[in-house]
Amino acid sequence: MGKNNNKQYKQSTQKPSFFKILQKNCLAILAIAPLLTGVIGLVGIFQVLITPKMLAGLFQNNPLIDTMIGTLSGAVASGNPIISYIIGGELLTQGISLYAVSALILSWVTLSFIHLPAEVEVFGGHFTLYRNVLAFVFTIIIAILTTLTLRILL
Amino acid sequence: MKNQDKRFTFRGKYFFLAVLIFYGVIFFFRSQAAQLALMKSSSILIKILPILIFVILFTTLLNYFLKPKQIAGHLDRESGIKAWIWALAAGVISHGPMYAWYPLLEDLRSHGMRDGLIVVFFASRTIKIPLLPIMIDYFGWAFTLVLSFYLLIGALVQGLVLEIFQQRSMDT
Repeated sequence: MGKNNNKQYKQSTQKPSFFKILQKNCLAILAIAPLLTGVIGLVGIFQVLITPKMLAGLFQNNPLIDTMIGTLSGAVASGNPIISYIIGGELLTQGISLYAVSALILSWVTLSFIHLPAEVEVFGGHFTLYRNVLAFVFTIIIAILTTLTLRILL
Repeated sequence: MKNQDKRFTFRGKYFFLAVLIFYGVIFFFRSQAAQLALMKSSSILIKILPILIFVILFTTLLNYFLKPKQIAGHLDRESGIKAWIWALAAGVISHGPMYAWYPLLEDLRSHGMRDGLIVVFFASRTIKIPLLPIMIDYFGWAFTLVLSFYLLIGALVQGLVLEIFQQRSMDT
């Protein structure tokens, strides 16, 4: 009995093997496969339905409103950040303010309405709400600070 | 350890079903757009597969060489300024879409990683080192430098603000 107990204790305190951990992590990814494929599916739809032209048409030439629109459009749109640079560059040549363009570039990466269901599932509603509200507010603050600083410097 | 004991279940089944229905509706009204969206989604999936493999291997190595308690010791509430700098650097270095990093962060969180550090990681991801030359080309040196500076400061402040919010809601 004593020997058996010792063996069981040793097994329970033994470090799990590399392959066991690998299997556990593969299963963890497999478990969220429906979430990931759902998000990727939505990204594909939004990339087709929301074109850069549509985004450019939203701006009103009012710095404050445009900063808000820039933040929201970046959150709605998604894809490689390079696309946000291209759209941002185009918007600047069309006379859209740097406030709006900075906000768009920032929210493109940090905010995403499409990712919300997955974020809630993985991190919980409270965390997702706090993180996204903070990211939204800070996108606007950073966009304004960047533009104001550049005005002073240049 | 808790995760190990959990029974395997697929997460986000209803969300996936909703997306499938959405595709069905678009296919019905604009079949070409639906096909294009499917193609775009497939190419995104192919692009993020190497990142997912990296995340699996990295998490495995992390769990194999470091005990959960060790990881928690570096990222928990008692961790100092080093943890904040690590989170900031990890966010800047991390590649690919945000959701590819969810499994790793979820695992670290279950080992005790504080939420403020996750916020810092996500917020600092706007700086993409390989894309900096393109940003400089489009917007210039000054814009890139000033934006990056405010982004790093902003990421740290967001993490700190979240922790203050969480502390307050715990107190009340």
